[in-house]
Amino acid sequence: MRLVQQLGEWFDERLQLGRTLREVMEHPVPRQTASWWYVFGSAALTIFVFQIATGILLALVYVPSGAEAWNSLQTLNQQIAFGWFIRALHGWGSNFMLAVVLIHMAQVFLFGAYKFPRELTWIAGVFLLLMTLGMAFTGQIMRFDQDAYWGLGIGASIASRVPVFGPALVNLMLGGPIIAGATLSRFFALHVFVIPGLLIAFVGLHLLLVLKLGVNEWPMPGRIVRRATYEREYHELIQRDGAPFVPYAVWKDIFFSGFILLCIAACALLLGPFGPSGQPDPTIIQTAPRPDAFFLWIYTLLSYLPPAAETPIMLIGPVIGILVLLALPFVAGEGEKSWRRRPIAVLTILLIAVALGTMTQLGEHTPWSPVMDAWSSDPIPTEYLKGRTPLEHQGALVFQAKQCHNCHSLANDGGKRGPALDSVALRLTNDQLIRQVIQGGGNMPAYGKNLSAAETTALVKFLETLHPPGQEPARDASRGVAVGAIEEQPSPKQR
Amino acid sequence: MRHSILFLLSLALAIEVSGCNSAPGKPGPESKVLPPDKILNFDSLYQQNCAGCHGAQGSGGAAIGLNSQVYLAIADDATIRRVTAEGVPGTAMPAFVQSSGGMLTDQQINAIVTGIRTRWSKSNPTDFAPPSYAALTPGDPKRGAEAYATYCSSCHGNEGRGGSRAGSIVDQSYLSLVTDQYLRTIVIVGRPEIGHPDWRGDVAGKPMSQQDVSDVVAWLSAQRPKIPNQLSSSANSSEGGTK
Repeated sequence: MRLVQQLGEWFDERLQLGRTLREVMEHPVPRQTASWWYVFGSAALTIFVFQIATGILLALVYVPSGAEAWNSLQTLNQQIAFGWFIRALHGWGSNFMLAVVLIHMAQVFLFGAYKFPRELTWIAGVFLLLMTLGMAFTGQIMRFDQDAYWGLGIGASIASRVPVFGPALVNLMLGGPIIAGATLSRFFALHVFVIPGLLIAFVGLHLLLVLKLGVNEWPMPGRIVRRATYEREYHELIQRDGAPFVPYAVWKDIFFSGFILLCIAACALLLGPFGPSGQPDPTIIQTAPRPDAFFLWIYTLLSYLPPAAETPIMLIGPVIGILVLLALPFVAGEGEKSWRRRPIAVLTILLIAVALGTMTQLGEHTPWSPVMDAWSSDPIPTEYLKGRTPLEHQGALVFQAKQCHNCHSLANDGGKRGPALDSVALRLTNDQLIRQVIQGGGNMPAYGKNLSAAETTALVKFLETLHPPGQEPARDASRGVAVGAIEEQPSPKQR
Repeated sequence: MRHSILFLLSLALAIEVSGCNSAPGKPGPESKVLPPDKILNFDSLYQQNCAGCHGAQGSGGAAIGLNSQVYLAIADDATIRRVTAEGVPGTAMPAFVQSSGGMLTDQQINAIVTGIRTRWSKSNPTDFAPPSYAALTPGDPKRGAEAYATYCSSCHGNEGRGGSRAGSIVDQSYLSLVTDQYLRTIVIVGRPEIGHPDWRGDVAGKPMSQQDVSDVVAWLSAQRPKIPNQLSSSANSSEGGTK
């Protein structure tokens, strides 16, 4: 113990950092901010350090080459002791980091912490968010599987829409005209050197600003921020009701950071690493690539954009979004901090959360996309086949063989591109079914040229059986008269 | 004190290490995603390519049950391989082998054929003697009408136009969509899971003979429309044909 102290003193005599460090650790914070609401920033930093550590471990084995990357991930997963666990920790760490960063940002927004004089802290934070997203995207590329390959393809095709500079941008992004080894090297450099370096620099700036300007005081309704008086008021508050960060407030940060690390470890142990999915081979067409969880909302947004709006929204939308975030502390730099007096701020957060949540959920289920193998892998439920005629069974086979199931679900299996057909017979009569199958309509292609008359008949007969028991299918009331069958069913009045 | 801390630390490490080796998240050897043309696992192949029509476990789908002991007794591997690879033209069964326009390799077709046999074939084919897969002698439509009346009419009704327990089998659209071999197979194998008995069960204690099956198929085949795929006739038959 004495030796450690002597060593410490030896270094401090030369470095003379001890005093500064102590000042940093003991900087006064308002007592009320030693709250569980103020732990997200430090947790994000903890996860960042954790990501650097696990990232270095992965980089010891990972081969950033187009031909070898996928195999080296298999080696990590299967052959190296705990390789899969380190991968899982790094992957889950990435998800947790993004989540914590977003929560931190929402909390800072709701607590008015971006207001004067902490504008620059907020701006550094916005850049930190963008870099964290950049790390998540480039990290997904490191997996170099089908998701990575097609994710890059989508990224490149967005870049290619930039007027004039599009082709040059794609070339810059991919390291050539196509996704190849050079692309992976490029993204490896971004993921391992460029963005982490920037992140470290901006984290430093962010922390320095927190130290210089002090932690945002607990917002009280009615305590208005004014440029002229705020700093004096904050100083008085610290004098009156301040406490040293260490040890007064730090234990909650330590506890929460530890809790988050345990959560990451638990997820890694229980749910394992992400992917890799299939090899990044563009000749494999039996694939349904999708982005990682935090980009699913973009996937949904792009899928639902009308074609004419795609380019403007893709290119101008992000710019506007970032500008709004950067302008926020200048537009609303003064005034109320408490969320109790800022209904629009609360509604904004709720709106964004609901929108992102909904779009992520949709991205999970991709209702806009046919399920290309539903026809051959999702059986028609046996209840839909019992008690049916031979012709109706043939219709069920036509339903599968002509791949109707890829877009239409039965008992929730199959595609969601078109309407579910479990009760289609209640909605459409025989004639309407025939017309819809042959001519298409809405988003449905016409199948008239792909179906023989017998196939159409069988298919429509099968579709006519799709109604809940006890509910009569739709029928054309004039049909009986038209085919002269009315005599067979005399109405009570005629008798 | 120090010893107990060391002990606790090593205990935690031991739990961690042993936990990691059997952790639910640990990817097993099967987690490696193979290119689609390298998959030879029967369960994956069957699930992706066959289950849609033949049912999740080989029965209960819209098409004939592949786990039927009778079907497996009459259809040999060469037949199953040919049908799987090349499909059956004129029916809903598509070709699956790459050389016929499908997505599967020859090895994958073999894996499916072997899988169907080893997974589902349980009984010894000598336990029962079903009529052969292919007709040995040509059938006679006239005798077929009589055989029909004996074995089939109790469900499919008079002259096959549909009865209370099963629908029409002389519907023009239906007959346009099935081959004679399909009719023969379904008469022999039946669809027990959805209520159609096999060749033994049509009349209790009186299985259909080899010749009965051929005759019934010939009788049905004779009623197939001469010029199939007439849209006008279909529009009429869609309302009146099955009644």
